[in-house]
Amino acid sequence: MYEFDIKYIIESFPYIVKGIGLTIFISVISSILAFTIALTIAFLRRTNVKPVTLLIGLFVELTRNTPLLIQLYIYYKGLPNIGLNLSPIACGIISLSLYTGVFISEVLRAGLNSIAHEQYQAARGLGLSDIQTFRLVTFPQALRIIIPPLGSQFINLIKNSSLVSFIAVTDLFYVIYKGAVDDFMFFEMFITGAIIYMALTGIVAFFTNLIEQKLKIPGKAGSI
Amino acid sequence: MYWKDIFENFDFLMSGLAVTLQLASLAIIGSLICGIVFGVLRHSKIPVISFLAGAYIEFTRSIPLILFIVFIHFGFMPLILDEPSSFFQSACIALIVFTSAYVAEIVRGGLNSIDKGHIDAAKSLGLNWFDRMIHVILPIALTRMTPALVSQFISLIKDTSLASTIGLIEFTRSGEIIYERTYHELEILVFIALTYFTICGSLSALSKKLESKPYINRDSEKLKRLKELA
Repeated sequence: MYEFDIKYIIESFPYIVKGIGLTIFISVISSILAFTIALTIAFLRRTNVKPVTLLIGLFVELTRNTPLLIQLYIYYKGLPNIGLNLSPIACGIISLSLYTGVFISEVLRAGLNSIAHEQYQAARGLGLSDIQTFRLVTFPQALRIIIPPLGSQFINLIKNSSLVSFIAVTDLFYVIYKGAVDDFMFFEMFITGAIIYMALTGIVAFFTNLIEQKLKIPGKAGSI
Repeated sequence: MYWKDIFENFDFLMSGLAVTLQLASLAIIGSLICGIVFGVLRHSKIPVISFLAGAYIEFTRSIPLILFIVFIHFGFMPLILDEPSSFFQSACIALIVFTSAYVAEIVRGGLNSIDKGHIDAAKSLGLNWFDRMIHVILPIALTRMTPALVSQFISLIKDTSLASTIGLIEFTRSGEIIYERTYHELEILVFIALTYFTICGSLSALSKKLESKPYINRDSEKLKRLKELA
């Protein structure tokens, strides 16, 4: 029978905490960047300049339909070729935020499309500019609708951040993997890792629910 | 640029792609079956069963896939089989375990969207729970769920690249093996990315097409054909 060694978990706890710190750091920075990228993409796609929308569309489709692992490798090995020597953490953040940003931009687009067209026309009729319409009228409404899918994208981001350990970033998954493979503590490390990842994603899910409840417009059931 | 690396190792890359496609298709079939079972269990009215299925779904959905792949390969399989399993087996099992939770959520959403009238009508015809599921509810729910399922399976195909991390020589790993020898990473990586893009992109175009075509229309076409036959 397998003997569960709880002492090992306690001994390796300082390393695990460091790993958690790095995972949270990468996730937070990437989610902020991803949201900014998503807003930019969603806005650029709504400007009707043909070359811009075509290029953005191509980038979105390319990013959505290739594995994140390959993208990580491409940014990690490819950026030095154009003279950008970044640390592995920076490469990880760049690829994670681009990948998640593209997915969030699709969510945003669905949210913006669900806003009735009359709202847009009315705003333009009141003399608001394109950016003002976006900022003051359509975006605040779309944001309320997209909060649940947005939350699940951030949860995916936390889970995807485990892949940066393959470009030599010592994040939570790296610590767990090293402990498991070097010291043969598979079940200890698996259960610890599972609990920590569940806690991290659980926190995001909790706050998503909270914000959704807080921002809800009374009497309006919103969903895409 | 060193694009000739690709042509020189084309057979090797294609054998890797074959492994990827095998792994993906087996995992799609497995996770579809397991996902439907878990989704139906989650939807059931018996509290214990639906709680257990819900716990499995929530547990699986909150953990990275790579954790499953590594620990099923190095931890669980040796414990169950008393010997190391093949890379392919572990990767396939991990993908099925992981994706079936997502499929189960989609199935639950589909089942919840069924109009209560259908269920009442089936009940009044004297169909038992099993017959209702097989003949009435699941066919409607599955047609509604098809776009969501296709996009889930697209991410499954992308996720097969993670099997390279335990050493399965699939598409990604075969590319890695080549550029570890030649040191020209970028060309191979771009080729791999474009191949994945071709496969997944065509599938997502298919899913968009399915989305724009509501299931009702297809049913009415079928009805028309039936009428012509009769």
